[in-house]
Formats: sequence, C-alpha cells, structure tokens
Amino acid sequence: MFSFFEHSKKTSKNYSPEPLPKTIKSSLSDNLALLKQKTGKSPDIIIRSLKIGNQPKVKAAVVYVSGIVDTQTINEFLIEVLINYKEKPGNEAGQELIEKIAEEVVSVGSIKTETEWSSLFESLLSGNALIFIDGAAKALTAGTKGGEKRAIQEPSTQSTVRGSREGFTESMETNMAMVRRIIKNPNLWIESIKIGNQTRTDVSIMYINGSAESAVIEEVKKRLKKIKIDSILESGYIEQLIEDQTMSPFPTLYYTERPDIVAGNLLEGRVAVFINGTPFTLLAPAVFVQFFQASDDYYTRFDIATATRFLRAFIFLISLLGPATFVAAITYHHEMIPTTLLIVIAAQRESVPFPAIFEALIMEVTFEILREAGLRLPKAIGSTVSIVGGLVVGQAAVQAGIVSPTMLIIVAITAIASFATPSFAVAISARLLRFAFMICAASLGFYGIMLALFMMVAHLCSLRSFGIPYMAPFAPFMPGNLGDTLVRIPWWSMKKKTQLMNHKNIQESKNKKSQSLKT
Amino acid sequence: MEKAQINLYQLFVLLVLFELSTILAPLGIAAKQAAWLSILIGMIGGLVLFLVYYRLYCYYPDVMPTEYMQILLGRFLGSVLAFLYILYFLYLAARVLRNFGEMLLILAYPVTPLFILNAGLVVVTVYTVRKGIEVLARTGELFAIVIFFLAASSLLLIVLTGLIKVTNLQPMMEVGMGKILETAFSETLMIPFGELIVFTMIFPYVNVNHSKKLRKAGLMAIGFSGIVLAFTMAINISVMGVSIVSRSPFPLLSTIRSIEIAGFLERLDVYFMMVLIIGGFFKFSIILYGAATGTADLFKIKETSRLIYPLGFIVLMFSLAMASSYPEHTYKILHSDAVLFTTSIPFLVVIPIMLLVIAFFKNR
Repeated sequence: MFSFFEHSKKTSKNYSPEPLPKTIKSSLSDNLALLKQKTGKSPDIIIRSLKIGNQPKVKAAVVYVSGIVDTQTINEFLIEVLINYKEKPGNEAGQELIEKIAEEVVSVGSIKTETEWSSLFESLLSGNALIFIDGAAKALTAGTKGGEKRAIQEPSTQSTVRGSREGFTESMETNMAMVRRIIKNPNLWIESIKIGNQTRTDVSIMYINGSAESAVIEEVKKRLKKIKIDSILESGYIEQLIEDQTMSPFPTLYYTERPDIVAGNLLEGRVAVFINGTPFTLLAPAVFVQFFQASDDYYTRFDIATATRFLRAFIFLISLLGPATFVAAITYHHEMIPTTLLIVIAAQRESVPFPAIFEALIMEVTFEILREAGLRLPKAIGSTVSIVGGLVVGQAAVQAGIVSPTMLIIVAITAIASFATPSFAVAISARLLRFAFMICAASLGFYGIMLALFMMVAHLCSLRSFGIPYMAPFAPFMPGNLGDTLVRIPWWSMKKKTQLMNHKNIQESKNKKSQSLKT
Repeated sequence: MEKAQINLYQLFVLLVLFELSTILAPLGIAAKQAAWLSILIGMIGGLVLFLVYYRLYCYYPDVMPTEYMQILLGRFLGSVLAFLYILYFLYLAARVLRNFGEMLLILAYPVTPLFILNAGLVVVTVYTVRKGIEVLARTGELFAIVIFFLAASSLLLIVLTGLIKVTNLQPMMEVGMGKILETAFSETLMIPFGELIVFTMIFPYVNVNHSKKLRKAGLMAIGFSGIVLAFTMAINISVMGVSIVSRSPFPLLSTIRSIEIAGFLERLDVYFMMVLIIGGFFKFSIILYGAATGTADLFKIKETSRLIYPLGFIVLMFSLAMASSYPEHTYKILHSDAVLFTTSIPFLVVIPIMLLVIAFFKNR
C-alpha cells in the first residue's frame, strides 16, 4: 500500500522535485508566488493581502490554512489590527516595521520571527498564521491553532465504576493539559519532537523530573529519535517501533486513554508518550502485572481490590488454558476427572463425531469469527450477529450433535474470561496463545500444556521493557515491591512509592535492536 | 563466559529446585523405616561436599572450573580433566532425561514413544537455556512459587484426609546403623546431593560482594531441601507403610493418589505430574547449562547459546541409547556399584578433594 502511494507521488505533477529555497526574500510577491507554487494552489491555503500604514502604504499578507486555525483570532487580532494600523511607516519600511508589528500591533499569545522556509511551512501547516510584509526578509508566525475538535468524553475503553469520567481526545494539547490539571507540580516536564517525514506528527514525552529514572527517559528519547518513517497515524506505530522485542505476543508498552492512569504511572516514575491525533497514550516501561490492574483497584478498598486482582489472574489462566485443559483431560487423562463427572461428559460426547480437539477448534474458531464480525458492524446489524451466533451456532450445534454441551460451556466461559481481562493488549495475546496451547494439549496432554507453559514463562522472563525485567517484581523477586501487584495493600501501609523503576533494576536489554522502518 | 549475573536468592531457588526434583523417587528406601534418617545423613555429607566445591570457588571466584583445573594441573592434564567433567555432565543430563521420560511413560503415556517425551523436554530446555542463566533463574523464581503452593496444599490435603499413621515409621532401626550409613553414602549422598557439582559452573555468575554469603545461601538451600526430602519420605512411609513404598517406583504418587476429600478432590495425579515436570525441567536445564558453559569455556567459544543445540541433541540421543528398558536403567545405572565406583565417587568426591588439596598448596 505504501509503495503504491510512493509511486503515485513521484508521477504526480504537483510534486515538485526542486528543493525549498533556504530563506525567504524581501519581495512580497516573490514569497507569495513561491508559497502558491509549493502548496499547489490548494484552496484551503488562504492568502489575505492587505495594506498597512499610511503614506506610503506597505503591502502585506496574512497566510493561513482554513480549518486548522481559529478564524476568530485571525479576523479580530490579526487582520483587523493590521488594517487599522495607520502609523506612518516612514523610512522604517520592511525590517523594522515587522519588529514593530510583532511588538506593538498583533495581540496574539505566541508570535515568532522566522526567516527559513522550512520552519515557516511547518508552522503554517500546523495551524499558525504567517504575516509577510513587503520589503522584509523575515516573516512572523502567530499562534492561531484551532479548528474543530472532539469534546472531552467518557473513555470508551477502560471505563470504571468509580473515578474520573474524562478520557483523552485526539488533540495532544488537550490531553497533556488534562494531566497537568491532575499533577500540579513544576517538575512535570514535557519534551516534544516531530516524527514522520510526511505527517510531521507531534510526539511529546512527559515525565516527572526526579521521579522518572534518567536512563529510562534517555532510552525513550533515543528510540524515538531513531525512528525513520514516513507517517505516524496512531500510537500503535510508535509502540511497534520502540518496543524491545518485536517477536513476542506480549505487549511491552502500556496504552491508555485515561488521564488518571497516566498521572498515576507518571508518579510511579514512568514516562508517557503522547501522540497527536489519537486518544491512546503510551506508558513505558511496562511490567506484566500492570496489565491486570485497573484504575478501580486504587479507588476501592484494599481487600476488595486484592480479591479482584486475584480473580483477574485466575481469569487470565482460564482464557489461556481453559479449552486446552479440557482437551487434555478428555483425550489423555480420564482418570483425573471424578467418575460421575466423567460419565456425564462421556454420555454427552457419545454422539459427537469429532475428537475433542476438533470439537474445540471448531467452536473456538466460530467464536472468533463471531467476535470479528460483531466488532466492525454497525450497531443495528450487530444484534443480528449475536442472535445468529448465540442461537444458531450454540443451540443448533449441540442439537445437531456436532459439539457436546460441555465443550460449549468451556468455550463460552473462555470467551467471557477473555473479555474480563482489563487490558485488551494482553487479552488478545492470550487469545492467540490459546490455540497453541490447544494443539499442545491435543498432542501430549498435560505434559504438552506444561511444556508450552514453560516456554511461555521462559519467554516472559526473558522480556525487558526499557531495561526493566517484564516479570518484575516476581522474577527477579523483589519483596519490597509486592505491595501493588496481585495484592494491593492499604494506602497507609505503602510507605514509599514502588522502586521498580529504580536504576538498579535497569539493565541493558540483550534483544534490543535499533529499529528503523522505512516505508 | 556469558555476561550475566544472578543474585543469591536466585541461586538459592535453583539449588532447591535442583534438589527437590528427586522428591518423586524412593530415596534411600534400602534403609527401610529409617529412609528419612539416611537422607539426613546424606545431606550432612552433601553439606561437606558443598563446602569442598565452595572452597575451590573461593580460590578462583571469577573463573570456571574448566579453567582453574588447567591452572591447578597444568594445561594438558587440566584440559583433559575438564573435558572428562563435561562428558560427565552430559552423562548426568542424559540420565536425568531418561529418568524423566520413563516416569512420564509409566505415569500417563504408556503408548507414546520415549523419544517424543524426551524430545519435548529437550526442545523447551534448549529454548530456555539458550536465553542464558538469568532467564533460567527468573523462570525458577516463578516456578518456586508454584511449587510452594503445590507443596503446601498437598500437605494440607494429606493431613485433612487423615492418612498419616506414625506407627508405620516404627521400628526405626530395623536394618541397623550400618545399613543406614551404607545407604546414605552410596545412594542419597550421590543423588541428589553430590550432583550439586554442576553448580560449580554457575557460582562464577553469582553476583556477590562477599563470598561468605554464597556459602550461607548454599548451606541453607541444601539444608532446606534435605529436610523437605526427608520429611516427604517419612510421610510416604507413614501413609503407605514400608513394604508398599519399597516396591513402588514413585511413592509420592501413591501418597497423592490416596488423597480423597469430599468425594471430589481425588486422584490428584496432576499434582504429581506438575512436580515431576517442574523438577525435571530445572534439573535438566541446569546440568545442560553447566555442560554448555563449560564447553564454551574450554574450547574458547564466544557464544554459549549456539552450543546448546548440538549438546541438546547429543543428550537426547544418549538418553535413548543408555539403557534398553526402565529396569535396566534403574538397576544397571542408577543403583549399580560399577557406576558408583567408576564415575560418581571419583567425579563427585575424589577429584574435587584432590583439586582442593592442590589448590591449598598452590595458594599457600
């Protein structure tokens, strides 16, 4: 797909092969001509010519991109004041006039003088207005970013029973402001870079100076700077480009659209990466237990929170091993099922024509198809899918004798369990690995499951996220940091914040590769 | 040597997992009711052997045994001895693997070829060991938690079912002290305590500022696992009586099978199987890692991880070829005097003590 775009770009006539001239000229008409030529006379680039001053009047122009600017600001604080500027320019035409306008006339918050075309274009395309004046080899950029945005709404993922109802939006400034509103600390620092040759997407990293380990901050910055790519359309791009291990089903970065989760993690010493254009913010480093924690855990009382977390660990095991265990027990280890239960299961399976593994695979694949179908359908048709799925596939399959009711129960429990995992990123890994476990169970029974489990645990133990071992604080075992893992001890007993992000735990990751992707 | 470090807790966990993998076997049953006593005596011998290995480590804390053998005995003799030790480790690995496969075969897979069962473990082990000692140690830490819960819950279930009959442990000295000592020194001292010599290959990786801490961790681990092994054997005998235990290949399995609570919690074979697989995995991985890191050090190969594939394959083939049946494996290899006097005693006891004496005079 990308190569297709690249191809069309080269053949297109609008694409100008000659490079940008470095600096602007003093003649207004020359500058405007170049601007028009470079933007291909796109109609959304508005050039408002006007004359300012009095005897002689000086020609000037305000340039902006409609739609991404705040029109009211441009009209009232740029164009109106410039037209009403009736001072005598005298011999201070050009260079000095532009300084004077910046200092005395234009009443916009941020204003800068630029001479280079590249930064002028970048500024123009990110929503600022440019002011050119005839005779000046400089231009002004006025901060007029605006345009339509989605309002702050309740996040659609990670909704909670208790806690703040606001979620991130697509605007990075809004998102960072939401975190600022929670942490009123001057040590909350933000650094910004632009990534993507074509999209020039704003990417900011946010951390609390002093809390976050400098090695982690440097590593995040280093990896972000290494990225060479044409476009960044979502935080998933950044996640895949800076994660430690590509060949892993497990996520090594955490993403969220809740400001309170970001704030909590910043206070624990993590680094947040905001990407303009998406409500999903990345958090690094991530550890495995983190994906089983929800923001509710911190708001409800500790005993309830601990019980819920144990439940979630159990849920994860079910969604990973449920069908595999059943297949292994039915195929190899009859003696481990209590006799009465075994008789019930055997009676049900009597008419089923398939071995247990095929039965399980048929149901699991059917369920995955149903889920994938329901995911992208309009809501009106979505209910049809659930009726067809629930009734036809479930009820009818059992009545037709294709699958046994027990298998249906197992698959249904597994499906619900995979929805109950708080983080979609880990739920989807379990969904993928479940099939591998089922195959292992069918070929070697419990021994196969254990072997696959060993492989998975060894893999998990070998992962690192920005230098922090992924299975910390269980492996390596850090008894002091267990207070906020599968258990959550009461707030008063958490004497100090977790030391997971401590520099002692950061080690050079072996599997780190410099990842640069050129599309 | 790969660049890796493990901490003392991780060493402790690896030692305990290594030792506890023998929990399934009828350990020291030749001493009848006093099996637990012979395990404890064997443990004391094991502590002494550990101190020998530890003293050698103290003389050369930063180098592999394969290297300090060359320092102590000269380049040629030392290399030959180091090579023999590597062969011995490969033999140990193959023996552990064979034992593991045979146990699985008897336990749950009567018609599955031994090759498949052994190959499964080798594949997973090679995958783990290739990632290095750090990953192995961390995996151990996670599974130590699992083992702890398994042990605690099964002990609780055994007590709740009311299986323990202390009278089965009497009379304690039926076979006499001589037989008890003989069992201790010919069987329980070698397996599992003497096999700890593999850890001399792992000591250089332990990150420790003071070597006395390593001694403490090692002694604690051996003491702890010795007591657990003796306790388990005592429970086995007290549940089933000596005559059944001495005829059973896996007394622990029979003990666990006799658990029955509320008509539902019964036939917990899966418990036994998990202990078997976890124990077998760690014992086999540690020995294979020792062999691989020793080979890499002896032949000056930079990447240890690449050696694991051929070594794993050799061990797999050796494990199938070393005996034609399980009885042959048990009586010709595990409990044979020939093996005891030609390999176990020289490699585990005589040569280390000899090396220590030489090291003592060299470093005086």
